[in-house]
Amino acid sequence: MIEVCIGLLVLWPLAAGLACLGLRSAGPRTGLVLATAAVLAASALVLAAQAPLTANPELLASATALHLARAAAFLFPAVFLFLGLRARHTLVSTVALAQLALAAYGEFGLPAAAAAQNAVVCDGLALALVLVVSLVGPLVCLFALPYMRHHEEHLRLTSSRQPQFFLILLAFLGCMNGLALASDLRLFAAFFEATTLCSFLLIGHDRTEEARQSALRALWLNSLGSVFLHAGCLLIQQRFGLADLHLIASPGLWTGISPLPLALLLIACCIKAAQLPFQGWLIGAMVAPTPVSALLHSSTMVKAGVFLALRLAPALEDTATGRLLALAGALTFLGASALALGQSNAKKILAYSTAANLGLIMACAGVGTPQAIAAGIVLLVLHAVTKGLLFLCVGDLEQASGSRDLEDLRGMLTQTPVSALAASAGALAMILPPLGMLVGKWAALEALGTNPAPVMVLALVLLAVGSALGVVCWVRFSGTILGGRAVGPLVGTHGVQPSAQASSLSTGPILALLAGAVGLGLAAPWLNALLLPPWPGHALSGGWGLLPPLFLIAMLGWVLGLKALSRQSAGPLAAPYLGGLPSRGPGTYVGPLGRNRTLTEGNEYALELFGEPGLTRVAGVLAGVLLLALLAGALS
Amino acid sequence: MKTLALALAGLVLAPLFGGLAAGLDRVLTARLQSRLGPPLLQPFHDAAKLWSKVISPASPWQGLFVRWALTAALASAALFASGADLLLCFFVQAAGASFVALGAFCGSSPYGRLGAQRELFQMLAYEPVLLVALLCLAKAAGGFEASAVLAVNGPLLFKLPLVAPGLIFVVLVKLRKSPFDLAASQHMHQELVRGVYTDYAGRDLALIKIAHWADVAVVLWICALFWATGPVQMLLAGLVTLLLALLIDNISARLTWRVMLKVVAPAALALASANLFWLYLG
Amino acid sequence: MFGAFLKKSQLRSPWLLHFDCGSCNGCDIETLACLTPVYDVERFGIINVGNPRHADLLVVTGTVNPRNAVVLKNLFDQMPTPRLVIAIGACGCSGGVFREAPNVLGGVDKVIPVDVYVPGCPARPEAIMDAVVAGLAKLKGILEADQ
Repeated sequence: MIEVCIGLLVLWPLAAGLACLGLRSAGPRTGLVLATAAVLAASALVLAAQAPLTANPELLASATALHLARAAAFLFPAVFLFLGLRARHTLVSTVALAQLALAAYGEFGLPAAAAAQNAVVCDGLALALVLVVSLVGPLVCLFALPYMRHHEEHLRLTSSRQPQFFLILLAFLGCMNGLALASDLRLFAAFFEATTLCSFLLIGHDRTEEARQSALRALWLNSLGSVFLHAGCLLIQQRFGLADLHLIASPGLWTGISPLPLALLLIACCIKAAQLPFQGWLIGAMVAPTPVSALLHSSTMVKAGVFLALRLAPALEDTATGRLLALAGALTFLGASALALGQSNAKKILAYSTAANLGLIMACAGVGTPQAIAAGIVLLVLHAVTKGLLFLCVGDLEQASGSRDLEDLRGMLTQTPVSALAASAGALAMILPPLGMLVGKWAALEALGTNPAPVMVLALVLLAVGSALGVVCWVRFSGTILGGRAVGPLVGTHGVQPSAQASSLSTGPILALLAGAVGLGLAAPWLNALLLPPWPGHALSGGWGLLPPLFLIAMLGWVLGLKALSRQSAGPLAAPYLGGLPSRGPGTYVGPLGRNRTLTEGNEYALELFGEPGLTRVAGVLAGVLLLALLAGALS
Repeated sequence: MKTLALALAGLVLAPLFGGLAAGLDRVLTARLQSRLGPPLLQPFHDAAKLWSKVISPASPWQGLFVRWALTAALASAALFASGADLLLCFFVQAAGASFVALGAFCGSSPYGRLGAQRELFQMLAYEPVLLVALLCLAKAAGGFEASAVLAVNGPLLFKLPLVAPGLIFVVLVKLRKSPFDLAASQHMHQELVRGVYTDYAGRDLALIKIAHWADVAVVLWICALFWATGPVQMLLAGLVTLLLALLIDNISARLTWRVMLKVVAPAALALASANLFWLYLG
Repeated sequence: MFGAFLKKSQLRSPWLLHFDCGSCNGCDIETLACLTPVYDVERFGIINVGNPRHADLLVVTGTVNPRNAVVLKNLFDQMPTPRLVIAIGACGCSGGVFREAPNVLGGVDKVIPVDVYVPGCPARPEAIMDAVVAGLAKLKGILEADQ
């Protein structure tokens, strides 16, 4: 049963994708995506019901699978080399050559590593990622169906390229499931590389010059990550003859031994998770269509980096490597949050915020205590849901308004009420108690706070500042969307027509993700308790016990607020106070010489403090120094 | 059961203490300026008068955000009083401040919206300092619960001397006093007309006032935690902080948000972080 | 008990909005002098707010002309109810010495309903404070009539 589920989780999406490619029309495509959603959700839930478990399915345990993985270590770099030569891109080609060299050394220069003890170990962390991929992923794919149709209408394409798009999107889901479940490092690395290829193809989907360049940049940076990954794996293969991810993560293995392989693996994680100074590929990837950004670049692919870091975290507890990783993560949290503050491009705000929150999870991984790891996993799940929601809403708003700039999204409340309200709600869900993201941040702060090392003070201060930066960014985002110029009666009360684009396939996933974000926040104490090893404590110990009462208070506030909202929406609104000057219409006033003037406004981005070029340089240099220190420290 | 009683006490007493603090503030300011000043209970009269005023709202969202701000402020007061986790209380209070800014974002007057932008920068300036101050308190007390801080022997001020300037900065910002009354100046003074409060009126303004009193009470309570040897001493500590804030308010002019963000906040944060580092070393 | 406190407070906290229509500033100086330590109107809970949405009393000085009549009307409309208007000085009451000028419409009551008139050129601070007290007595009457 479990083996069937695992097989479905990994292979069904690929099959469905191939079927999408074959049957090129829209109707079967919708059916296939819906079927994939159902199959993935069901399989993931069956797995969840039986977890924690170990299994040895034919798919991942057989010798054929291992051979395929070892072949993939050559195949993917070869493909990347071909792509680099075709595009005449030096960096892609060079990194691909390096990958091939490492693969050759690993295959022919070293004795083969032993197979993993159990091909699949589904513990809390693996299950969290599988659930995120299998529940959030299909929702994004469903959203992509009407979105891509409008996208292609807007671009006026003669022949639809949706079949290829959905093939890669669905196949990617299978790769992520495989990545989450595989214990063998070679299989993990194969899936890791597969996601790099999917990302390259999807970023470059629109085939504009900007998309091409961004795709190549993502390719070489992620391949660089693979180089580090393989280098770490080879060192482990050489030292221990092991390839089992769970054995490598045990602290006992590393006593008295240089943690250089771990450091190399962690650098690979940082690159995949777009940490400073490697965030450039993620920011450039925002040219892709929104479902790509939502799925790969916030909910799932970048999570692969933090997933590996959290997996290795037990070996990092109380080590210098761990402390430096925590510091690097905290610096990314601060730096990326500050960069988000200076942005007015909505997707870039979301991208920088993603990098920041992944930095927070990295900081948890660096600490390595069970509480820190549990906080990291809670953050992983909640961030995937909330950020996915935000990306989908921003995508819908962008299609309706034609612009990505936050200043142009003012007043979208009357045009696309569902997306605008969900975007505001999502933005607030990133920062407000008692919802999940805040709870995760609080748990992370406490986990770092209980660590006695003095250098953690720096991490704590960086996190404190980063937290304030994030709050300001999201309040401003939510306020801009809610407080648009067209502030008036809500849709439905005065017959304002919502945009024609509100199909149930776009609003359904948005509403489902919103419900998920709130519901998971409610369940956060129990989520946390499930992730901790069996301890005498229970779900509602310490500060966690405050969360249910806080939820009740929040619901009370919600009811009172909604009553006020309905009462105030029903009556007339007051004229704006403009120093007594009359206004001839909304957003105008009668100024000198009796002329009508428009009232314009914009957010203050404080570019002298948060401007992108300068801050990227400063933060990038600092982060680079930290990561070099991490590597150098591990050498001794 | 005892925690529930304490929480209810905090819920009811925080706005009352905050209102009294506001009244005391006005009387003492007046005496400093050689005037008589209003009666001590004047803030309560003000709120009660506002309760009965009838006026159209500037936006349908304002009532919602006002009630959320009030809920958050009262919740954080109740949590602090019942000795709960310091960091969660801080985050709840910060949520309240966010709601005030959001309500102003949804308003219609440019003064209100400019006030909201400035309120965001003020939050950016004081929140890290307050969070690090709470982390210092937690480290010195050996636990994150407010009850652990109250149980420490002897005043914590001597272990946390460098945090004091930062805390005064936070108090000045929260009480909306010069030189940091950028988003909205404290009562009577004006900045951007009424800044972030411009669009609130009538009953909404009364509720925001009550939320502000609860906020003030919470911040002064945090300051009182630095000398938590007994209830009288805590009251005196809160009063001393209030007097200091009042004095600084009356002798200083307003700074700009750039100076606040680039000079004052980093300096306060650096001092508080140095104190935290020293605590970790010792 | 709360109800009694609410009723009492409505007279204990008159916030005023001061608007200078076209005054020579003589009456404005006298009005603002009320805020100084010598007269100290804050004893009565009076605060000078700049925002009509927060104000209970509109204290107007100066003559009304077509230009500032619009602003005056706007400010009055943006005040919450119940509200009072106090016209200060000869100009505010009837246009004063400028009554015959071509651009002057007259006193404040040409645009908005006035509740208390304070004669004088300029009006004395004591008279202005007395006007506020008289206005509050009128407000008390209005509130009791509403019961």
